[in-house]
Amino acid sequence: MPTTENNLLLQAKELRTWFEIKKWGFIHVGHVRAVDGVNFTLERGESVSLVGESGCGKSSLAKTIMGIHQPTEGELIFEGNSVDSTDEQSMRQYKSEIGFVQQDPYGALPPFMSIQRILEEPMIVNGIKDKDKRLKRIHQVMEELKMTPVEDFLKKYPHMLSGGQQQRVVIARSLVLNPKLIMADEPVSMLDASVRVEILELIKKIQSERELAVIYITHDLSTVRYFSERIWVMYGGKIVEQSPVRNLLKEPAHPYTRALLEAISEPDADNVHNYKKVPSGEPPSLLNPPGGCRFHPRCEYMIEGLCDQEIPPDFQLANDRLTACWLFRDEEEAGDVAL
Amino acid sequence: MAKETKLAANNVEKNMNLDEKTANVLDVQDMYLYFQTGKGIVQAVDNVSFALERGKSMVIVGESGCGKTSLGRAILRLLPENVYKYEGSCLLNGSDIMQYDDERFRKEIRWKRAALVPQSSMNSLNPVLKVSDQVAEPILIHDLADNKEQAREKAAEAFKKVGVPVDFLNRYPFELSGGMRQRVAIATSLVTDPDFIILDEPTSALDMLTQANIMNVLTKLKEEIDISFVLITHDVSTSSEIADMAAIMYAGQIVEFTDAYTFFGTPLHPYSERLMASVPTLEADDEELGFIPGQPPSLINPPEGCRFAERCEEEFELCSEEPPGFEMEDDRIVKCWLYREGGERDANYGK
Ligand SMILES: Nc1ncnc2c1ncn2[C@@H]1O[C@H](COP(=O)(O)OP(=O)(O)O)[C@@H](O)[C@H]1O
Ligand SMILES: Nc1ncnc2c1ncn2[C@@H]1O[C@H](COP(=O)(O)OP(=O)(O)O)[C@@H](O)[C@H]1O
Ligand code: SF4
Ligand code: SF4
Ligand SMILES: [Mg+2]
Ligand SMILES: [Mg+2]
Repeated sequence: MPTTENNLLLQAKELRTWFEIKKWGFIHVGHVRAVDGVNFTLERGESVSLVGESGCGKSSLAKTIMGIHQPTEGELIFEGNSVDSTDEQSMRQYKSEIGFVQQDPYGALPPFMSIQRILEEPMIVNGIKDKDKRLKRIHQVMEELKMTPVEDFLKKYPHMLSGGQQQRVVIARSLVLNPKLIMADEPVSMLDASVRVEILELIKKIQSERELAVIYITHDLSTVRYFSERIWVMYGGKIVEQSPVRNLLKEPAHPYTRALLEAISEPDADNVHNYKKVPSGEPPSLLNPPGGCRFHPRCEYMIEGLCDQEIPPDFQLANDRLTACWLFRDEEEAGDVAL
Repeated sequence: MAKETKLAANNVEKNMNLDEKTANVLDVQDMYLYFQTGKGIVQAVDNVSFALERGKSMVIVGESGCGKTSLGRAILRLLPENVYKYEGSCLLNGSDIMQYDDERFRKEIRWKRAALVPQSSMNSLNPVLKVSDQVAEPILIHDLADNKEQAREKAAEAFKKVGVPVDFLNRYPFELSGGMRQRVAIATSLVTDPDFIILDEPTSALDMLTQANIMNVLTKLKEEIDISFVLITHDVSTSSEIADMAAIMYAGQIVEFTDAYTFFGTPLHPYSERLMASVPTLEADDEELGFIPGQPPSLINPPEGCRFAERCEEEFELCSEEPPGFEMEDDRIVKCWLYREGGERDANYGK
């Protein structure tokens, strides 16, 4: 589907978020380039998974999108308007369009507030003064999330709820302002296996019912296809591949994506006799990233004099795919490069 | 721990040779480990039995809280203060090591014959000790080397086996990546050359590529040295990487014990079936990920009948009584009333 102006919700252009590192609090050591030249487009109602290993910059990108971190460089465009982090008024409006579901429900919910207070808070901050209106919204959202009878929940405090119920409250809170985008940063990694799928199904359900855009952040590539249409693969502060999930699983383009797919175990007794093909080395330091392609020190297809010198741009491939790898500089399809 | 010492004193153990190459390297029978708490008695390991053939490796799979870590600790007698009940037998090369007193267990069994890589051990390495000294420590404690120099040599050997570059020997834990620290932890369990190693969630905290790396290390060790792994994990997919046998644990009990081919292909117990259906896969074209509604029961006063009954779709009258472990024709053991000794699954048992 071509992205038209109309259904485009959010766009990032050369987004960078660098953290300054200081020794003893004042000697400049360098910058952690957590987000380093990220480009993407996100349509209304679209569900995307952002996948990458820990430390690659997923949370930093999420927080930059949500306006928690101010980008060092680059631009975010929301519904056609550039997001201006210096304009307090429009920032508040922008932030209210994005609901946040974070990793750790225990840390996300203030222990001294009742559930009702927790759910009212974002509305109070955003100037919804009418208490009845606030309560009506809360009831509506809680019913949508099957947290009934609603009254029983509202009086409770976070510690009185199970992990799964707490995460539902976090989801409810992310929805009370009727956002257009939900940012779910590893929303189930702290939960027991038995409730994980339930929570993910719930996010999927509200996504389709409300036609919400969702960015689902995970390090678990194997669950992605159940919850998203598109996937962004992140490595070393950059998005290296963007694709519909199914195309990527069938035919990964970027060598890093191929390595990830090779590494994943499927439950198969034959595995016991096989070795996994894993690239050598470790993910790059973001304080001192390698020049050229960030993956080049680990990549067996590295083109000398090119990959180690020049940062690969996003090359467009068929089926609405992008990949930042020099191997695809003259190619049209992911399958054109047999690795 | 008064309890276990009494148990040992009552039974003068028969003289058996720990070096004997019995058919089973490990044979656990009727193992119990209960904890005393303010809220009641926690039945963390409740009458667990299984046997592991020499040269094979197994996994213990189950949701968190089902008792996997406790079972590992029961086998290695690494117990907390609040033990309420600890009994059963545990044959290592045919000798019942449950009969050993604590001193003898510590000297002859733990680390020397049976080692543990505890959960998140990669994060509990001693930060002020060079990794070579940590790996050498079990060797020195057990007098397996004549001097420090020799101990370091053995440590270097273990490093090589797990693929840590030898020049890392002189580094401190914080100078290593998570994957490298996990390899160091595995090396520590290898230096004493044990018969089996229990690995408690060795890859859960690691990234995809690092997980695959660690699994490769374990696969290679299995091929190269005479060792059995007991892998404890909640992750069914990675468990397939080193499992010859699989024990499925639910609410303190083993509900199915079988070889990996049959388990990953055709699980028998209703819990195993649901567990397998909830494993995400890359290729199948199922649209939705299965899950098991409800929660496992509390291990304090668990239900009297089948512990899975509340969540089981096939539950019927008999299930209010605890099912025994039925042994199928192909030696699989299934703790469920849908089966019978030597038999096949028969839905009619439910009628
Ligand atoms: N506020 C911060 N100050 C300095 N460094 C940071 C900060 N937040 C994140 N980082 C660093 O940025 C990198 C990316 O981190 P993060 O975005 O949390 O990755 P992920 O979510 O993919 O695990 C890491 O090296 C991390 O240590
Ligand atoms: N020392 C202890 N005292 C009381 N309860 C314990 C103790 N150790 C573990 N438990 C309980 O025993 C049960 C099994 O725990 P554990 O063996 O850690 O499970 P798993 O490793 O499968 O997650 C849990 O309910 C846990 O809370
Ligand atoms: S750009 Fe070069 S080094 Fe980077 S992934 Fe592609 S082939 Fe490998
Ligand atoms: S014994 Fe009954 S309740 Fe338990 S798993 Fe079998 S059929 Fe289900
Ligand atoms: Mg993160
Ligand atoms: Mg455990």
